[in-house]
Amino acid sequence: MKTFIMLGWRNLWRQKRRSLVVIFSITLGVLMMMFALGLMNGIITQMLDNSISTKLGHLVVHKKGFFENMKLETNFYPDQRILRAMKSDPDIVASAPRVKAFAMIRTGESSRGLIVLGVYPELEKKVSKMNEYTLADEGGSFLDDPDANEIMISKSLAEKLDVLVGDKIVLILQDSKSEMAGVGLTVRGLFQTPVADYDNSVAYMGIKRLQNITGLGNNISEIMVVATGKEAVDSIKPRLTAAIGDASLEVMTWKDMAPNLVSAVRMIDSMLYIYYAIFFITVVFSIANTLIMSIMERFHEIGVMKSIGTRPSQIFFIIMFEAVNLGLVGLTAGIVCGVILLQVLQFTGLDFSLFMDAMRQWGAGSIIYPFLYPKDYIITILVVELTTCIAAIYPAVKAARIKPLDALHYV
Amino acid sequence: MEIITIKSLIKNYDGEGLEVHALRGIDLSVRRGEFTAIAGPSGSGKTTLLNLIGGLDIPTDGTLTVAGNNLAGMSAKELSDMRLNSIGFIFQAYNLIPVLTALENVEYILLLQGVGKSERRDRSRRILKEVGLAKEIDRRPKELSGGQQQRVAVARAIVSEPELVLADEPTANLDQKTGAGLLDLMHDLNHKKNITFLFSTHDRMVMEYAERLISLTDGMIASDKKKKSLKESAEKKLKKQR
Repeated sequence: MKTFIMLGWRNLWRQKRRSLVVIFSITLGVLMMMFALGLMNGIITQMLDNSISTKLGHLVVHKKGFFENMKLETNFYPDQRILRAMKSDPDIVASAPRVKAFAMIRTGESSRGLIVLGVYPELEKKVSKMNEYTLADEGGSFLDDPDANEIMISKSLAEKLDVLVGDKIVLILQDSKSEMAGVGLTVRGLFQTPVADYDNSVAYMGIKRLQNITGLGNNISEIMVVATGKEAVDSIKPRLTAAIGDASLEVMTWKDMAPNLVSAVRMIDSMLYIYYAIFFITVVFSIANTLIMSIMERFHEIGVMKSIGTRPSQIFFIIMFEAVNLGLVGLTAGIVCGVILLQVLQFTGLDFSLFMDAMRQWGAGSIIYPFLYPKDYIITILVVELTTCIAAIYPAVKAARIKPLDALHYV
Repeated sequence: MEIITIKSLIKNYDGEGLEVHALRGIDLSVRRGEFTAIAGPSGSGKTTLLNLIGGLDIPTDGTLTVAGNNLAGMSAKELSDMRLNSIGFIFQAYNLIPVLTALENVEYILLLQGVGKSERRDRSRRILKEVGLAKEIDRRPKELSGGQQQRVAVARAIVSEPELVLADEPTANLDQKTGAGLLDLMHDLNHKKNITFLFSTHDRMVMEYAERLISLTDGMIASDKKKKSLKESAEKKLKKQR
């Protein structure tokens, strides 16, 4: 077997230029495949992480029915049992209570409907990135007092409402008794998240102040929970539900709350098969073509090998090893180049500022950091080696079927 | 004891609508250890006969037994195994595997036979030393002269100690001196190892070296003579002079 592998290896370098062209095309294909996979992983991960770190959280605990109607009266009191259940779960990193209410912001110029979120500023920093998304260069800062008469809105909303940091706005909402309440608030700061539609639809203020305005007392709308990872939520959900032990409350994961996002991720994932198919088609034909040419050139030689006792199956394996070697060289070169490229992009990121609006619509952010999972390397290796083997089958069968006498007469 | 037995062997080819009668009823026996040349003009059928004996072609009619194997009805794999284990081939154009060194070319046959690595190496080195190529074992065919390549081909043909070596015009591409050296070598191997050699040739020198000369004309045996080989005659003369 070793000699057949060696024969395949040496035959590979008989036509150096031709082999190098095929190796280069495999290398380029692998590099492009790794780049595409890395970019998709980056976009998907950033899409999910940004949504989770702003609007979703890994998990949310709320009163049953709140997710569907988001009514202020669908609230609950966060008693010690609930907080203990969260603290005792090893996969829960942080949690923060929130009040959520539909509201309208009015200025002298215009008005906008949105959702106002009441948060504990210090706890919110642990469950979301709103603190990081606050734009310091606009002159404001993130909330620091849950009882302050202040509000944070997005930069895009501020532009639409024509307000600046320090300006007054009026917040109008229905309280828990379904009566209209209005309050004047100061714009404390502006934020910009990577998720465009989120920016246009939310405002943040201190939870105590919002509880006062709405008359909720110490009740809240939900508890946002951050777990050790995105995939940990599936095991946390039943555990937390049991630990809370209150049938009127429900635990929802980010997957439950954003089924469209999950579908989009699946769709993007399935698009990768198109990349594999493009790679497969390109490589199959170039390898098959190279091997057929190589076999035709060695027609006489293969005939001699068969004359002196080489079995057809052994000829088949020699050609297959030639293809495997071709694939391995291209694959190794491609993976080395791909790893270097991805390592560099991990530091620099890939700037999509030109398409910023589109990227923000996706919620991915304008700078993407491509990366690969270990499974992606395995898939790449399998796709390349499988492709080269499939490409080599026809030429190898053709070589194995060469009649020694015909080949001996062939010059 | 016969190593080749041929009875009423016929080989016809379809050549562009015309049937070509390459062999027209050959009857022939070759005994183990013979050093035989098949001579004849081009188109007389000598290469066809060698191809049939080597299992590279299928006869139209007749029976052909080589090294105890009746070739009729043998599968491609069986023929391949028979060639590997019982026959050594020497070709006019040397036909070494260009990507392998001299040693690896010789070793290749033993590898196909499943001989272990160290034994393979030892036997191949020994046989290359016997054919005078001890210093050239690591050279590839393109780094060897025509005579050296044909010596490697001889080493490859006999390394597995086959019962029969078929040599198709082995000296045709060599100058007279190199050709004579090669024939000396094969004659010695024939005597030392009792390997049967069967040549197809129209080289006078090969005919003179042969101990049996079969002449083919138009696909039939025209003559079949046993004689003293040139080498033996020369050696006897030398002894008498002493």
